[in-house]
Amino acid sequence: MITAERLTKRYGDKTAVDAIDFTVRPGAVTGFLGPNGAGKSTTMRMVMGLDHPSGGRVTVNGRAYRDLPAPLHEVGALLEAKAIHGGRTAYNHLLWLAKTNGIPRRRVDEVIGMVGLEAVARKRSGGFSLGMGQRLGIAAALLGDPGVLLFDEPVNGLDPEGIRWIRNLIRSLAAEGRTVFVSSHLMSEMALTADHLLVIGRGTIIADTDMSDFIARNSAAHVRVRSPQGGVLAEALRERGWAIRRDDDGALLVDGATPEQIGDVAGSRGLYLHELSTVSASLEEAFMRLTADSVEYHARTDQPVPAGV
Amino acid sequence: MTTSSTLTPPASPPVARHDGSGGARLTFGRILDAEWTKIRTVRSTVWTLTSLFVLSVGLTALICFAAAGELAGEAADEPIGAFATWGLMFGQIAALVLGILVATSEYSSGMIRTTLAAAPRRWSVLAAKTTVITTLLLVLGAITSTVAILAGNFFLDREGIGLTLSDPDVLRTMVGGGLYLAVLGVFGLGLGLLLRHTAGAVTVGIALIFVVGNLVGLIPGAAGEWLTKLMPGNAGTTMATVESFNPDLLGPWTGIGVFAGEAALLLLIAGWLFKRRDA
Repeated sequence: MITAERLTKRYGDKTAVDAIDFTVRPGAVTGFLGPNGAGKSTTMRMVMGLDHPSGGRVTVNGRAYRDLPAPLHEVGALLEAKAIHGGRTAYNHLLWLAKTNGIPRRRVDEVIGMVGLEAVARKRSGGFSLGMGQRLGIAAALLGDPGVLLFDEPVNGLDPEGIRWIRNLIRSLAAEGRTVFVSSHLMSEMALTADHLLVIGRGTIIADTDMSDFIARNSAAHVRVRSPQGGVLAEALRERGWAIRRDDDGALLVDGATPEQIGDVAGSRGLYLHELSTVSASLEEAFMRLTADSVEYHARTDQPVPAGV
Repeated sequence: MTTSSTLTPPASPPVARHDGSGGARLTFGRILDAEWTKIRTVRSTVWTLTSLFVLSVGLTALICFAAAGELAGEAADEPIGAFATWGLMFGQIAALVLGILVATSEYSSGMIRTTLAAAPRRWSVLAAKTTVITTLLLVLGAITSTVAILAGNFFLDREGIGLTLSDPDVLRTMVGGGLYLAVLGVFGLGLGLLLRHTAGAVTVGIALIFVVGNLVGLIPGAAGEWLTKLMPGNAGTTMATVESFNPDLLGPWTGIGVFAGEAALLLLIAGWLFKRRDA
């Protein structure tokens, strides 16, 4: 269980995390979603006691991180892929880490087996690929068999096989009753792994919801209908109280109606239809809409292209 | 080298889960054990300690071999004892660098976050690092200065100007080399933790000890004299030499006391910032 109350982080006059409240509960994967620079990593570092909050507080199992009697037995974290000295072997990295919290040597071999690094455990980690480094980081997180796990952008830079492996791992950790907190800037990733969703933008929580609710609310479909008598059809549909928008090619986009209802309206007026289809909005779009105001750095794609280019 | 490791099924760690109330707790002894494991499992430790030994012993032997004849001549008024650990002047850089690396290698790799996640008590982490570097350099420094004296004295002896090994100053220097290098290592640790950057800390460290220590001598009058005595590089060195080239420096015990005080102050400032700053 992770609890943040009015958690704040300021750098000079810039507020990176602005008095956020949230709770991450056991037995579920809580996705921490937000664009780059929204404050995800800063928040996670404050949970781990690495960065000091400018205000408010955050606790793990009811205690500030620094007050945990044996931190690795309670919290495991993958904060960045390369928080490892490249000159040390994977085994020795896990060994010193185990020693801090009195974790036995055999557990080091155990976690190496779990993440499948047996073949390279005695090699220096400087030569590891990103995926191998990520596995080593996960081995370190699992070392103390903790009940709370944090993963900051765990699938970044991984190949499809590695991504699937991490997704399954995250799901199974939550299924075992652990508290799992995973950050990502990809909605599609969250939709696959998270049970609960915490959306952050510009340092504030803009959504705190069940994943299924979020999907139900935001993947609402609309119907696309094209007719040679578009104007008349639009008039008829508006009379029924449905919202109409025009697509680029002149087709009508109807919210709140089913294709059957629209077909019936057209039929009763004797209007011809050339197209009638359901279009579902993607979650990615829903996320973009939600965070549109809070994206730190917009790519300017609407710049006029100079003539002759 | 195998790039891909076998994919195992999703990890299912043993179900028995600790919630911190179990037997395993974070203790200073465990943090110390971890820091010792860290320092002995990277190559840079082996390299710096090897160069400490080789430079100190090798250069001492070399200068004694080259200068013994002249020193034995009647015209020479150089303090012979100053040559017996001459190589330490260069070997000491390795001790400084090792101390710096104990702190900065964690920042250059980002490993400091792993360290502090495992052991969030920052003063304990710093105390463990200090203990490890002090012990290591105390032992290796004493061995190095003893071997350097024996090697240098071999050549001095051939010219009939050898030191008496049972002389109190010679015995003091054998241990004193270890003391000086240990304090220098701690000085490096403080500097590294303060600056969090290897190249920066090495540059500042070497400048303080080799350059500024000599430059302040140019300041006229008593101020310059005292600054020379008190500069970190100067204050400690008399402890590591049988006789000093510069008779104006502080005595060995006073000198090492001043140097240890300076290193401790630096370490405290660095520790205070370490506690306050974001990792």
